[in-house]
Parts: sequence; structure tokens; C-alpha cells
Amino acid sequence: MLKPTRMTRVMIAGTKDIMEPTLSELHKLNVLHITDYLEENADFKIGKPFKSASRLSEHLLSLRTIASQLGVTGKESPRKHSAKELPLEIDEKITKLQKDVSTKFDELRSIEFKIKEKQDLISAVRPFLGLPLSLDSYHGYETIKVYTGFIGIDLEQKISDVTKNFELFTGEFEKRQIFALFIPGAFEDEVQKILQDERTYVEIKVPELKGNPPVILDELNKEVSLLKEKQVSIDSELASIKKDYSEFITAADEYLSIETQKAEAPLRFATSPNAFIIDGWVPSKKFEELESGLQESTRGQAYLTRLTEEVKEEDIPIELENPGPAKPFELLINTFATPRYGEIDPSVLLFITFPLFYGIMLGDVGYGIIVAAMAFVIKNKFKTGGLNSLALILFISAFLSIIFGVIYGEFFGFPIFNLEVNGELEHGIFFGGIDGPSIAGFHFPVHRLGNVKSLLVLTLAIGIFHVLAGLIIGFRNITINHDLKHAIFAKGSWMMILIGGVAAIAKLMPAIMSKLPVPSSDPVFIGGAGLALLGIVLLIKGEGFISILEIPTLLSNILSYSRILAIGLSSAGIALAVNKISTNLFIYPNGEFLGGGIGLALVGVVVLFIGHLINLLLGILGPGLHSLRLQYVEFFTKFYEGGGKKYAPFGYNRKYTEE
Amino acid sequence: MVTDAGLIALGAGIAVGLAGIGAGMGEQAIGAAAVGAMAEDEKFFGKGLLMTVIPESIAIFGLVVALILLFVFNQ
Repeated sequence: MLKPTRMTRVMIAGTKDIMEPTLSELHKLNVLHITDYLEENADFKIGKPFKSASRLSEHLLSLRTIASQLGVTGKESPRKHSAKELPLEIDEKITKLQKDVSTKFDELRSIEFKIKEKQDLISAVRPFLGLPLSLDSYHGYETIKVYTGFIGIDLEQKISDVTKNFELFTGEFEKRQIFALFIPGAFEDEVQKILQDERTYVEIKVPELKGNPPVILDELNKEVSLLKEKQVSIDSELASIKKDYSEFITAADEYLSIETQKAEAPLRFATSPNAFIIDGWVPSKKFEELESGLQESTRGQAYLTRLTEEVKEEDIPIELENPGPAKPFELLINTFATPRYGEIDPSVLLFITFPLFYGIMLGDVGYGIIVAAMAFVIKNKFKTGGLNSLALILFISAFLSIIFGVIYGEFFGFPIFNLEVNGELEHGIFFGGIDGPSIAGFHFPVHRLGNVKSLLVLTLAIGIFHVLAGLIIGFRNITINHDLKHAIFAKGSWMMILIGGVAAIAKLMPAIMSKLPVPSSDPVFIGGAGLALLGIVLLIKGEGFISILEIPTLLSNILSYSRILAIGLSSAGIALAVNKISTNLFIYPNGEFLGGGIGLALVGVVVLFIGHLINLLLGILGPGLHSLRLQYVEFFTKFYEGGGKKYAPFGYNRKYTEE
Repeated sequence: MVTDAGLIALGAGIAVGLAGIGAGMGEQAIGAAAVGAMAEDEKFFGKGLLMTVIPESIAIFGLVVALILLFVFNQ
């Protein structure tokens, strides 16, 4: 919590004959983050992959080709295969599969190609159904030119103007006029010109076939249906192969991936002709596990030691470590940047503040329940990965929304409790109106639209504390990574400006508003102003004169937190407007229920539904983004550097195979 | 008749309106770039969305000014 997992740097050395069992054990333990060896020298070279590597990756390649041809997705969740038995059958099965599947697949491709070819021919021959000629009568003339095509005019008339020596056949195909014109070659130019000038003319090529079009089409159709039958039978054969082998393929894919990873591992560390050295990191609490595992599998021949020399902070792999509920918030941290080893991991702080801001913004029981339900559905649909984390974050946030919904007394914008607005009593919608409870002197509900001023002060106070928390973490980071002096100049100065400034302004503002003189004798004002001035001096001393320009950003940072109120007000405002419009449609025009007829009431229902749907979508997006923005822009910039690299242990989480 | 309340309301309106226009101008450039980045690589969606809402602060400052005008000075 708050800190990334503590890591220990280890070195494993041994002779080459124990390299394979060592790697197997490391892979099984899945705890060592190997630091890639890059600087070759005369004694140590980057290792060579095991001999089996090329065979394994070839197998993997052909297996994946087969999987994609069969459409195996690996989601069939097969039984677990034994990783000891798989290698015995893998060669034979893959060769057999490759032969079966690829021949069938090639056959399928060629059939598909033939079908396409025949279908093209069919569509080329079909227009000639409209003409009473056999297809061979269009070819084989020496002095006669043949024109065929669609045309929208009476061609006979136009050709007659050129010559009387021609023969014209016309017919109809799909409501267009088709023609075939036979004319001596001497008139080629004139006919060409006539046709080119005619916009409705579309040339059709005569396919080089013999026979009458209906007969030809009949034959072609028969051939196509034969081919299609064959296609279906091959498809079903492939489907049965898929059914029989998909378990094997998924398991073999995993097995081969693991073996390839192991076989190629030597590329990542240093080897001499007879020995190897693996440099890496292991979570400190898993060191013992690594030690005993290696001891057992190599009978004590592998040499394992902790290295304590200084390393650059950014070279230490980062594994975030947080208690369950705060775990999903690591997603938000990693989206921004992975922290460095010496830095605070703010996941837990996000776990507190993110849902809090979200809840204050979207404080509505109705919306909260819907968002929580949606998050619950998504969480169950996606068991792992980013969407799962996001759903959990949303779920926690929605829970806070419901709590603040009760405090504000809002249910889809309707009042839950009785409410006094401008001296008029508005009844709550449940049980004909109940009074809100009074707890510890506070009377609930705290209606948002009626308490803008105090809520504004509250959000700014939240901002001051949040920014201050950021500065304190920054102070701690710099103290640890540099020294106290740096921390005072870089972060302490800002804290003084913030605290002093707030104290001074808190005293100054009311005086200005009520046109009183500056409270120059008030100790809080003088103290605050003094502290802020001291902060500015320290800042200039530490960071240079130019840093004065940055002081206003502190003000804008704090003011930025007023968005917590603003987003909430707009959401509450939209809900209120939607409710007003639809209730008015219900009791229009004279205050009677359904006074405007059933039609208007139905419009009211539609307005209510669509209005709340849009507001809900905005209500998920707006508060989520703005709450995140306050973290990233206002909070993180005070302390967060990032730039660590993620802990990626050498190993594999087996899903379909077991050892 | 020009009243103080009316002028304050007018001022609040101008504050929100102009701030909104300014925020919009900022967001349009960032939004276009974010969509471009997303076309290259869908993983930019989160970061792009976040970048796009950053100028929204300006609109919120406008709103704060308006709220202060309406609820603090309008008494």
C-alpha cells in the first residue's frame, strides 16, 4: 500500500549443463523479472536460443495457421491437458492436421474461385436471353462488325440514315432494350459515332461460348449447385475437425508458447562458453520461494545471490501492491504513468477521493442505482482486464452517488424528502412526503440548488486539502530521493503560499465585500500574508525568479475544484427541468391530472424517459472524466513523476495445460 | 429600467457565455487531434478524452464567476 512492492535484485549463475532445468524452474515459479543483457564483452555474450527453438516456433506458426483456418478462438475452455503428454503427440498431430486442414482449405478456396467464375459467366450470358440468337452466331465474321448492348432509343432509324444494309435484333432484358447489330465493316466509323453520341448506350461483351443462352445458363447453374454441394461437404468436414481438435489446438498453442518462451530465454542473459549469468529482480518476499525452488531443481548447483549495489531507480521493475478494493484504481495510475520505485503509489488515495468526487457530483439515488447495476453487469461479463477494473471503479463510485443522493434528497431529480423552496413547501415523492432527518444539528436534505454558496465554499475547501495532500506527498518524495533542503524549496514553499494565502484571503474577502478597511491588525491575516510572502521568497530562492509566474496556477488549481459543484448543479438542473416539463405535460393546462388528454401525457412520458437517459449518460461521462481530471491535473502534478517500468516476470499463467 | 440585479444577471450570463466559447475553441483543436490520434491507435481513447476535457476548466471558471455574482453580490 502506498509503495510499490519491494524488490530484490538477484543474480543466478551456473554451468551450462544446468541451464535448462534452471530456466524451467524459473518459468514455473513465474517470479523473476529478467533484466535483458545488452552490453556484450569479450567474456560474456548474449546467449543463443536452445536448438529446439526453431522447431518449436515453426510448429507454433503452423498451429496458429491451422487455428485461424478452422476459426479456433481458444474460448472453448477445454479440459486441462497434461504438459507431459502433449509433447509425445504434438509432432504427429500437427503434421496430420496440417495435411488434412490445408488440403481441405486449399480445395475450398479453389471451389470458391470456380463458383465465382461460373457466377460471373452466368451474369454475362443472362442479358442474351432477350435475343433470339445462339451465342456462336455473334462470332467468327470477317467483313461484318457486331455490336451488342443496351440502348434507350430506336436504333433502326438512326442506322437507316447511314445504310440500309444491316440486320438489327432487339429484345428486352430486365425492362431495358437490348440489341444486336450486324453491319458491314465499311460502316464501322459511322456506327461507332452514333453509338458514342448516345448516352443511353451501354456495351455488353458477348461471352465466348457456343449454344443457346437458356441451355448454357441451365448447364452453368447445374455446375454451380454441384460446386456448392461440395463446398458444404468440405465445410462440414472442417467443422468436424474443428470440433475434434479445438481442445488440442488451444492446449498445444499454450504448450508451444511456453516452450518457445523458455527456448528463447537465453537471448536475454549473458553466457560464456561454459556458464551463464541471469540478472533480474524478484519481489523481496518471494526471494525464499525462488531460493528453495532453485535449490531443489538443480540439486544446489545453481548459485543465487542478492546484489546490493546501487542501481538507477527507473531500472527497478514496478509491481503495484494494494488491498483488494483499491486494486482496480491501479488502472487509473497506469493509464497516467507507472510510478517509480521511490515514489508514492497513490492508488489508495484515488480509492478514497475518486468515488468521493464522483458521488458529490452525481448525487442522485436513482442514477446511482442504475449506474451501479450497469457496473455490476459489466463486471460479471468481463472477469479480467481493464473493463473489469473500470466496472469496479464505477460500482464504488455509484455507491457514493447513492449516499450523496440521500444527503441531497434527490431521486431522478425528484425530492425524496419534503423541501422548502423559496418559502413554499414541496412534498417528497415517497409516502406522500416525509420530513428529512436531522442528524447532529444538520437538517437533511441539503438541497444543492438552494445551497450553492455553502457548497461552493465546501468544494474549494476540498480543493485546498487535496492540493495540500499532493504537496505533502511531493515533499516526502523529494525528501527521500534528494534531501530536506530541496523539499523545502520545491514543495514547502508552495505549502506556505497555499496555507498563508488561504488564511489571508479568508480574512480579506469578507472585508472587501462589506467595504471595510483591510484588516491589517488581524493576527490571522498578518500571519497568513507573512507565511505566503516567506513561501514566495523560498520559492524564488529555490527555483528562480521566473517561478513567480507559476503562483497564479495555484489559484486556478483550487478554483478548478469548483467543478465538483458545477457538474453536480448542471446534472441536477437538467433532471429538474425534465421533471418540470413532463409533469406539466401530465397536468396541462388547468392543473388537472391528464387535463391535456392522453396524447400530451404520452409526450410527457417520452420527455421523461429520453431526458433522464441523456442526463444519465452525461452523468456517467461528466463526473467520471472530471473526477479523473482533478486527480491527474490538479493532484498528480504536485508530486507524481512516473516513468517506472512494469514488473513482467519470466513465466506464464497456464490456463489449458498443467504440469 | 436598469436595476442592479439585472446588471448582475447580465454579467453572470456574459461570464458563462464567453467562457464557454473560449473553452469550446480550446477543445475543438484538442478534440480534432485526439480523434486523429485515435484513428492511428485506439488505445489513445482514454488519454484523448482526458486531454479534450482539460480546457473545460475555463468554462468552469466562468461559471464560478457567475455563481459568485449571483449568490454573493446579489444580496
